[in-house]
Amino acid sequence: MPSHFLLAWRLLLRDWHAGELKILLVALLIAVASMTSIGLFTQRIERAMTDQSGQFLGADLLLQSPLEIDADILNKAKRSGLSLTSAISFSSVIVANDEFQLTHIKAVDQNYPLLSQIKISKTAYGEERPVSYGPAAGEVWLAPRLFGLLSLSLNDFIELGEAKLKVTAVLKHDPGQASSFMVIAPRLLMNIQDIADTGIIQPGSRVTYQTGFAGQLKDRQDFEKWLRPRLSSSQKLSGGTEGSAAVNSAMEKAEQYLSLASMLSVMLSGIAIAMTANRYAQRHFDQSALMRCMGASQKTVMQIFSMQLFILGLAGSLLGCILGYLAQQGLLLILKDFLAPGLPSAGIYPLLTGFVSGFITLIGFSLPALLRLNAVPPLRVLRKDIMPMPLSSVLIYALAIGSIILLMWWQSGQLLLTLLVMLGVFISVAILFVMSFVLLFFSRLAASLLSGPWKTGLLQIIRQRKENQLQMLAFGLSLMILMTIFLLRTDLISRWQAQLPEKSPNHFVINIQADEVRAVEQFFNQHQLQSEGLYPMVRGRITEINGLDVMQAVPEKNQRDEALKRELNLSWAMQIQKNNKLLSGQWWQADDSGKAIISIEKGLARRLQVSIGDSLTFQVADQRISAKIQNIRSVQWDSFQPNFYVIFPEAVIEKFPVSYISSFYLEASQKKILNQLIARFPTLTVLEIDAIMLQVKKIMDQVSTAVEYVMLFVLMAGMIVLIASMQSSMDERLRAAAIMRTLGATTAFLRRSQLTEFSLLGLFSGLLAISGTEIVAYLLYSKVFDLEFELHGTLWLAGPLLSVLLILLISRLYMNKVTRQTPLKSLSY
Amino acid sequence: MLDILTAVNLEIKSAETISIIGASGSGKSTLLGLLAGLDQPSSGTIMLAGNDLGQLDEDGRAALRGAKVGFVFQSFQLLPGLTALENVMLPLELRSDSGAATEAVELLARVGLSERLHHYPQQLSGGEQQRVAIARAFVTRPMILFADEPTGNLDTVTSQYIIDLLFEMNQENNTTLVIVTHDEALAKRCGRCLRLENGILHHA
Repeated sequence: MPSHFLLAWRLLLRDWHAGELKILLVALLIAVASMTSIGLFTQRIERAMTDQSGQFLGADLLLQSPLEIDADILNKAKRSGLSLTSAISFSSVIVANDEFQLTHIKAVDQNYPLLSQIKISKTAYGEERPVSYGPAAGEVWLAPRLFGLLSLSLNDFIELGEAKLKVTAVLKHDPGQASSFMVIAPRLLMNIQDIADTGIIQPGSRVTYQTGFAGQLKDRQDFEKWLRPRLSSSQKLSGGTEGSAAVNSAMEKAEQYLSLASMLSVMLSGIAIAMTANRYAQRHFDQSALMRCMGASQKTVMQIFSMQLFILGLAGSLLGCILGYLAQQGLLLILKDFLAPGLPSAGIYPLLTGFVSGFITLIGFSLPALLRLNAVPPLRVLRKDIMPMPLSSVLIYALAIGSIILLMWWQSGQLLLTLLVMLGVFISVAILFVMSFVLLFFSRLAASLLSGPWKTGLLQIIRQRKENQLQMLAFGLSLMILMTIFLLRTDLISRWQAQLPEKSPNHFVINIQADEVRAVEQFFNQHQLQSEGLYPMVRGRITEINGLDVMQAVPEKNQRDEALKRELNLSWAMQIQKNNKLLSGQWWQADDSGKAIISIEKGLARRLQVSIGDSLTFQVADQRISAKIQNIRSVQWDSFQPNFYVIFPEAVIEKFPVSYISSFYLEASQKKILNQLIARFPTLTVLEIDAIMLQVKKIMDQVSTAVEYVMLFVLMAGMIVLIASMQSSMDERLRAAAIMRTLGATTAFLRRSQLTEFSLLGLFSGLLAISGTEIVAYLLYSKVFDLEFELHGTLWLAGPLLSVLLILLISRLYMNKVTRQTPLKSLSY
Repeated sequence: MLDILTAVNLEIKSAETISIIGASGSGKSTLLGLLAGLDQPSSGTIMLAGNDLGQLDEDGRAALRGAKVGFVFQSFQLLPGLTALENVMLPLELRSDSGAATEAVELLARVGLSERLHHYPQQLSGGEQQRVAIARAFVTRPMILFADEPTGNLDTVTSQYIIDLLFEMNQENNTTLVIVTHDEALAKRCGRCLRLENGILHHA
């Protein structure tokens, strides 16, 4: 065996200059590099997302509980090497200058916050200063609003229970306030040591105990695994990939796009590998026969060729992994602002996956060709017409398709996307195949009307129908994939840009009282604030579904849903909101006003397992109200506008306590207006999300760049297929051209007939490609990416044109040989 | 089914030279393929160096070919991707012979191609290519050499040179030589000449 290994190695080296092997290796290289880099990259992104959610929570993991957290849990966390911070939060009234105000209080220890920073300032909307500690004992930090409400200044004292505490800073941002939409009361941050002095917390007080954990990924994963099953139903563990909805939604699509790009580049590389392997095998039939003739057993021949395959796989996979790693570093460079420095590395797994995938691709796509090589009868040395028995085509396709599905699924972890892509490709191939018949039929008609080199070129296509059809398929398919990935990229990026247009709202105002609505609107107009309008908001809790207690009506896995645990913001409107889309049912008419009907968001409807006609009962203040679901809507959560799970028509819930919410855009330089707003309407709460928005926008820009970068892989893979498919038919074409030259065809005649032939081939492939592109794009847009689908007019022109140019360009590289070389040389080859 | 060969009864002795002539399509190459164990007869027996080819499986016949048989073909059958030297080394390499390069260089020198070791078949003339093929055939010191129209693709002068070379090397190596040809001049150089007609072998 080792001696054959050397022979295989030597034969491989000798074959190297013949060319196919280079294409095969490059194809493999691209497949492995794209799989590896995208694999590495998505893992890192996922880790970055987890890290980012840590920034929102102030810790990697946050455990919340109505009772004090067991010492067992804390000890286990310490033993696991995690750092801890404990906090207590509750609502209470504080007193200052004889005024009372309900406040959301959070008492923190000296470790708070574990991650990220608290932002404080000296004046309500003044310059922020990040700090990594909470207030000292005896001190409190207050939300800007409290200064107005209680007529306070820095260094004044407030009373909380029995304690007197000194105000030492304005609290601008607390990392633990991710869910701050829910907390209407203004915030107060204090030291946990002062809690006892206040005497507020008594047995039975409504208090939330929080413990934040931070540490190494592995440690916290182990801890989380240990902790989850021990949690009681009233305890809640946060962490994982929570964070900004907009970032998550963009990243999710980007990840899907990356998976898709990776799948397609693997598929394209696979096609290129199959084509080159096939040509390699055909060109080695003689070698196989000769070796058998010289006494090599079938086993030896098989060993030699499979060792060559192994060597190629090894080289391609190794180099591909290295290239993939480097490419991933480049990708990280593009996203460096988004990814936290010192990010844990992606680990060896994606590299291993890429390496193994290299072999799977190579074997899946080239083994059938090599098996044929093995079956060449030795008699071929005497009679050239003897060909090895063709392998069962079922075997060939099953092997190739099986390995590609396996790979795509394994790589992306997305079965739906994998199956859709395969389905799209199958449908396209079938359509392309039928269309190629139609095109050839018309060519035949056209040929009867032409003469000279044009006719010869056209006839060339018709006579070699089978080969040309195959080539059109390969060419059309790769162009189709290239165009799809290009379209998708363009539409995704423009959608991301449209999602956060310039001047999207970056501030929310909540807690506007009904009698303040007009005044607030006037204030907005006066200061030319671009508001999204004021929306009414009534707080209510879902208690029953179709008259059944909600906890019994909802499946167990959804019983912990946030929407069931807390009060929802209910709203009313006669028109559907701008960023909402009606999915099923009817929106109400003017005469529906006052009817007990609702519109529900699709995610909530799914989680509650309710649909149109079902009835929900809400507990609002001390009353109950039931309403039937009239329609289901989708909501663009990442639009940064007020969005609601449940909307009523007018005149149903107006009777309940209502407050209004609005959002508007404010330039950084206009921040002072906020002071005026608060001074004028002291009970309002302003949520500043401009910093988050800026970050989101930056991330989206970077993700767009990453998406373009990854498209390069697909482009390269596509080019390789084009070259491989051209090369596979070149021997035949060169021979035909040489014979025509021998028979007296001039260079000009040959050039013109080739021009006709290749232009038509390009045109046909281009037409096939664009038709396929629209089909696949339609499937992907509607089923996976949730994008609006439209036909792409310009591409119907650009696609075929591009295809013609590409084919002419590649064919020039080869066909020049015919006109440069003597016919004898072309024929003797 | 078409009977290509019917009553063929032939014994070839060690170190004998024998030629088989016949018109195109008379079945000469089929007979050669059978004799060399490249194909199997539908009936009858073929013994090669004491081995019944019908009793051996494909790999058994391959092993026998590797050990005892050499070939020269009308179309040379050199591998286009390999140089002259590499082509000659190939059969030795298949047996894992460590002295492949030395022996191949020696043989190529013997056929007068010392200057052409690193040329590819495409860069060689037809005569030169056939000389490489002859070197390749003798490099394994075969017991029996089968030549299928060895001069079929060559001009008269070159043919003469190739024939001379083939017979010289045959004598030097004491090899049994079986030539299939329609070149009467070549056929007459052999110790025994047979004609294949309508599937039957006659003495010519």
